[in-house]
Amino acid sequence: MAAAISLFVFGAITVALSLQLPLGTLRMPGSGFFPLVLGLALMTLAGVHGVQLRLAKPKAATPEPQPAPQTPADGSTIRVVLFMGTVAAATALLEPLGYTLSSFLLMLALLWILGLRRWHLSAMIALASAAASYVIFVVWLKIPMPSGWFF
Amino acid sequence: MLESLQFLANGFEVAGTLQNLLYCLIGAIVGTLVGVLPGLGPIAGIALLIPATFGLNATSALIMLSGIYYGAMYGGSTTSILINVPGETASVITCIDGYQMAQQGRAGQALAISAIGSFIAGTIAIFGLVLIAPPLADAALAFGPPEFAALMVFAFVVLSNVTGGSLVKALMMVIAGLILGTIGLDPVTGNERFTFGSAYLLSGIEFVAVAIGVFGLGEILVNAAKPPQQLEQRVLVPRFRDLYPTLQDLRRSIGAILRGTGIGFGIGLIPGPAPVIATYAAYTVEKRISKHPEEFGKGAIEGVAGPEAANNAATQSAFIPLFVIGVPFGPVPAILLGALLIHGVTPGPLLISESPQLFWAVVASMYIGNFILLLLNLPFVPLFANMLRVPKKVLLPLVMLFCITGMFSVNNSVLDVWMMLAFGALGYILRGWACEGAPLLLGLVLGPKLEVAFRQSVMISHGGFEIFIDRPISLAFLVATLGFLLFPLLRRAVRLLLPKAPPPSGGPKANVAEGQS
Repeated sequence: MAAAISLFVFGAITVALSLQLPLGTLRMPGSGFFPLVLGLALMTLAGVHGVQLRLAKPKAATPEPQPAPQTPADGSTIRVVLFMGTVAAATALLEPLGYTLSSFLLMLALLWILGLRRWHLSAMIALASAAASYVIFVVWLKIPMPSGWFF
Repeated sequence: MLESLQFLANGFEVAGTLQNLLYCLIGAIVGTLVGVLPGLGPIAGIALLIPATFGLNATSALIMLSGIYYGAMYGGSTTSILINVPGETASVITCIDGYQMAQQGRAGQALAISAIGSFIAGTIAIFGLVLIAPPLADAALAFGPPEFAALMVFAFVVLSNVTGGSLVKALMMVIAGLILGTIGLDPVTGNERFTFGSAYLLSGIEFVAVAIGVFGLGEILVNAAKPPQQLEQRVLVPRFRDLYPTLQDLRRSIGAILRGTGIGFGIGLIPGPAPVIATYAAYTVEKRISKHPEEFGKGAIEGVAGPEAANNAATQSAFIPLFVIGVPFGPVPAILLGALLIHGVTPGPLLISESPQLFWAVVASMYIGNFILLLLNLPFVPLFANMLRVPKKVLLPLVMLFCITGMFSVNNSVLDVWMMLAFGALGYILRGWACEGAPLLLGLVLGPKLEVAFRQSVMISHGGFEIFIDRPISLAFLVATLGFLLFPLLRRAVRLLLPKAPPPSGGPKANVAEGQS
């Protein structure tokens, strides 16, 4: 149901924003015409999907009296949030710290999140990855990655 | 025909230069790696390498990027056979009998037949491409805006129908992609749309950010969500001396390879994730016509040969609609279209006549690439298999680092990286909702083309929609689209009307589930 509601809202926002653009005529459609049609179509489909789910729900409940637990207790959500948070932090630090240092810190943190807890090994892998990616992308491929405060 | 062969000979001259051979080799190696490493499919692989092609001419760039596509089909079978985990979706079916063969100590033979089948299928399919593409391009000259608009609508609906999940969900993804494609400057009037005053959004949503985000980062996050102990797997590496099939294996496989080639080539010409559908179709056909159907699911070599040939043939023939009509029928050709547009090449009916050097050089490079891949995938399979021993807790951060670097280098912009992160989160959520990312990407890439074709059509007809019905090609596509939309409803109605038959026992579904587990 979350998909149906989210996409319905996305469609509704598209329709609202399209109406602020010139719609033109059928002879000469304006900038807002195509997105308006798409927004309405998305709202319709999301509505159909919502109704489908609503109609299917009671049926599914009958044969399965014991629904599976929804929230895994293994910390997967925490790992994903930590992973994305780390990547977002590395992106924010890319320009101030520079490519090499932020790559090193990113690798170190992600290795820890994914379960590599031996700091010596993690530091070596992070250092090797940061150095290798610097050589490949900055030195060989001449991509102007941010140099930041350090290098 | 003779003219085509003459052009092909010229294509070999261009593709055979040291520089293009090198890019073909890089594409083949990266493609094999992308195929071997679970979690990094050809879409994310190609998107990641697009920035590396900016310094190249369009021909070299396309030689390398298409090498990744068909290379991934070769590499994908390696993990399916050795660890029962498909390297990419087109290798799911290979797990069923390939892994069983490996369990019986015949991993080498399965890998060898897979590589040989892929080579034969790839080579025959390229020949088909040479024969079909030029006359089809001439025929496609009759396409005007209404035909293109109808064809794109047809492609969206067929793709949504065959992705395997819910049709409504897939159509929602297509439309969401089309809406994202409207962000930026209006392609007809030049007005700003949904930019909220941001100069960054004027050029629209960066499709590379969507591709790397939804397909690359989304997959990384799915893996990151798993408990650390579930990330690693035991890898069985075959010995070099085992990498040859017996005469009996070859005798049993050759028919399956040829049938798989025919099926794959045909399916590549219709919209949808062609290599995936082709493998399912080839496996079903092989099982149905086999004298020993009971061996399927227990290590039948035809169950490896047929699907592996089919996915390679489908990969090659999927280039035909991209080159000839300029409309990609699947997500990977859509990425290649994006890459071509970045390099200033617009595929379509005039591509072969206006840029014969590019078209024929890429075709010739496919022959060379297939040969390189056969060499890579036979003697070097143990080397690639050893790459699977790199722990995922090391591999995932490395791929993440490459995603950030690759994304930044497209426009040297951190904003692109943020965009990729946003689409990565979206990709993860979409997986949770069981929504496919491929229709979203296709909608985004084709959105501006569809809008221009649609608006031009109604302008030509002075505001009427009859132009889509008056023109026979457009009408045919619309009738076919309607058929595809109504088919699930009709099927459901027939099921409701007919009395219920007793449920079949066992069968291929049980085997598929077993293979995928």
